[in-house]
Amino acid sequence: MNSNIRSWARGVFGWFDDRLPISATWRSQVSRYPAPKNFNLWYIFGSLALLVLVLQLATGLFLAIHYQPNPHLAYWSVLRGIQRDSRWGWLIRDMHVVGASAFFVLVYLHMYRGIMYGSYKKPRELLWLVGIFIYLALAAEAFLGYLLPWGQMSYWGSAVVTNFVTAVPVIGKPIATWLRGSFVVDLPTLNRFFVFHVFLMPILLLALVLVHLIALHHVGSNNPDGVEIHDNVNETSWPRDAVPFHPYYTVKDLFAVSIFFVVFFWFVFYNPSGWGFLLDKLNYTPANILHTPADIHPLWFFLPFYAMLRGVPDKLYGIMTFAGSFALLACLPILDRNPVRSIRYRSTLYKVNILAMAFSFLWLGLIAHGLATEHNMVYGLHVTEVFYMTFFALPFFNRRRTIRTKVIWLLAAEALVGLIDLWMYSIHAHSWGLMLLTDWIPALYALLLFGLAIVFPALTHDAAKLPERLTAGGIFH
Amino acid sequence: MTKQNSPLRRHPIALVLAAWLAASFSAAAAWASVATTQPPLKPITINLQDKAALRNGALYTLHMCTACHSLQGVRYSSLRRMLGMSEAQFKEVIGTNGHHYHDTITSSMPSSVIDAFVKILPPDLTYIARRHSPAFLYTYLTSFYVDPSRPNGVNNVAFNNVAMPDVFASLQGLQKPVMTQGLRYGSPAQVAIGVEPLTKGSMTQAQFDRTARDIVTFLYAVAHPHEQERSRLGPWIIGLFVLLSVLTYLIYRLYWRRVVSTEERWWKVGK
Repeated sequence: MNSNIRSWARGVFGWFDDRLPISATWRSQVSRYPAPKNFNLWYIFGSLALLVLVLQLATGLFLAIHYQPNPHLAYWSVLRGIQRDSRWGWLIRDMHVVGASAFFVLVYLHMYRGIMYGSYKKPRELLWLVGIFIYLALAAEAFLGYLLPWGQMSYWGSAVVTNFVTAVPVIGKPIATWLRGSFVVDLPTLNRFFVFHVFLMPILLLALVLVHLIALHHVGSNNPDGVEIHDNVNETSWPRDAVPFHPYYTVKDLFAVSIFFVVFFWFVFYNPSGWGFLLDKLNYTPANILHTPADIHPLWFFLPFYAMLRGVPDKLYGIMTFAGSFALLACLPILDRNPVRSIRYRSTLYKVNILAMAFSFLWLGLIAHGLATEHNMVYGLHVTEVFYMTFFALPFFNRRRTIRTKVIWLLAAEALVGLIDLWMYSIHAHSWGLMLLTDWIPALYALLLFGLAIVFPALTHDAAKLPERLTAGGIFH
Repeated sequence: MTKQNSPLRRHPIALVLAAWLAASFSAAAAWASVATTQPPLKPITINLQDKAALRNGALYTLHMCTACHSLQGVRYSSLRRMLGMSEAQFKEVIGTNGHHYHDTITSSMPSSVIDAFVKILPPDLTYIARRHSPAFLYTYLTSFYVDPSRPNGVNNVAFNNVAMPDVFASLQGLQKPVMTQGLRYGSPAQVAIGVEPLTKGSMTQAQFDRTARDIVTFLYAVAHPHEQERSRLGPWIIGLFVLLSVLTYLIYRLYWRRVVSTEERWWKVGK
């Protein structure tokens, strides 16, 4: 009896498997996909981000069923219709809100992992580029979704961002009107944002994620040692330093998922507004077109870009500066052409530079969290210079430099900083005192980085010998 | 000298960090330019299980506040369970002000009247109570003071230049401010930090404070409808994933025990 059922089930599955490559795909992409055996904790964020994507789609589906994309109804359809009138609506909505922020936490960590271990280097340039497009799509998705609750911050945030286009001379204003479908953010804007948020962007995101995964499985995973595992295979052409993705990394990811859900649900149940970071307090107030808030600021994940925008005392250049930071990320494979992948075997000053990249990004976020005072704007400008410099300095570490080249790099960096300051002084953007007080930040960073490279050349030397095999395995190594 | 032992391998990181730390501190000074002296908020303890307080709060809110304010986040019918009443009891004691029992709670005053009266639409109390802390609401409700320079003749300690008239004047009596020299948006100004009684109302101060506390309790309960459900479900869901974390960690260890990083024999594929 039992064996009859089993053979019957195998027959049914076989019928499908003969016509659709189910087991073949499972074997090649999961149970026989060679993954380096030394993935550490940094390698869980990709699969967790995938999980959150699914979570957002599932919770978003239920929210979209109850949501009303109409300025008269939107606010209460969320606050009452979803949160109170529908059963479990509050839980679904809070999961969607916390999920959005979790997505960005995971994606930022995932990206920084890629930067640390050189996962954008040959042959993974396209993989990285697709990832950047995923990040951009995600940013667009988050921005579009933020308008939907029709709160004050939703409304004015969207008003500010849709006004970005007006920085373009002559055609800017008509384009902004065309984008909004109205002269101000209004019903047509809400309607199209809703459609883009629930229909266009999710499809785009899913497609990009699929391409990202296909590209990953085509070129194979990088690892914390940066060693190409496919260069060392056994007689069955299996990489000697690889374990099959399933079960080894599925059990590891399951562990990571459990830990993630502990944190995730703590926020959902006990701190859904995340101290005002995940859900701005001002957004509890319905949108009011006649009442502009004193301080309009984006949610936490866009704060660093907001600091860049605020720091530059010109709308168009400000927008170019923050858009430029996306371009810099996309250009990482071009900027950093050093053959050594992993940060483990890069020089000390390169490590400092990568650390400064993360640190200046966080600092920018902190600055933008403060009010739009002149002080914060000036700091924003100068920390933006540091952030940019961490990217511009990457080619410096591509190979060992002569002392003359190092001096030229130092002078060029200081000249660049000086020129930007000169521009600030010439347009009287800020008071002299404030400028002089903060000028030193990028100047000192350039001096530290290139000056130390001149005085202590050993600090720019990558490890003399790279490992040929992976050095350690397991999650806590 | 070997490279590993060079103290400078870690030195620059410390230097960069120290420099930036110093800079962050001076960034904090930026707040000074927009600083406004904040009056102390009166401490308040609210008990969401106190049905008597909730009922009293509901009575005042639905009979006084909703004359101008709406409370659109809730329906009359959804208050019944929170207040521990039957439908008949609710209709008799609190009432629905002529609305259907399942209607949302809206303002009793037509907007044309409100417009002529205070010129500004009174905000909905659901999101006011969601946005502000109980201490703020309590301080706000008890801290109206006479200010002849204002159109309504009153101002508020917790909310400078408030548009709302002092509707509690008959209950609490009028009050005068306790002023101090402080800052408003960075400029020196006289700032109210408390109130003192000026005239007597129909209630004693203790009675009125209790009434204000009941209103705040009710508003908080209305604005945070799933608090109890959260604290009931939370430990179970989080506990489940803590348990799963332990289990999946054990499974993870079980599988990875076989993976020996330095040896060749740890995995033979194709067998």
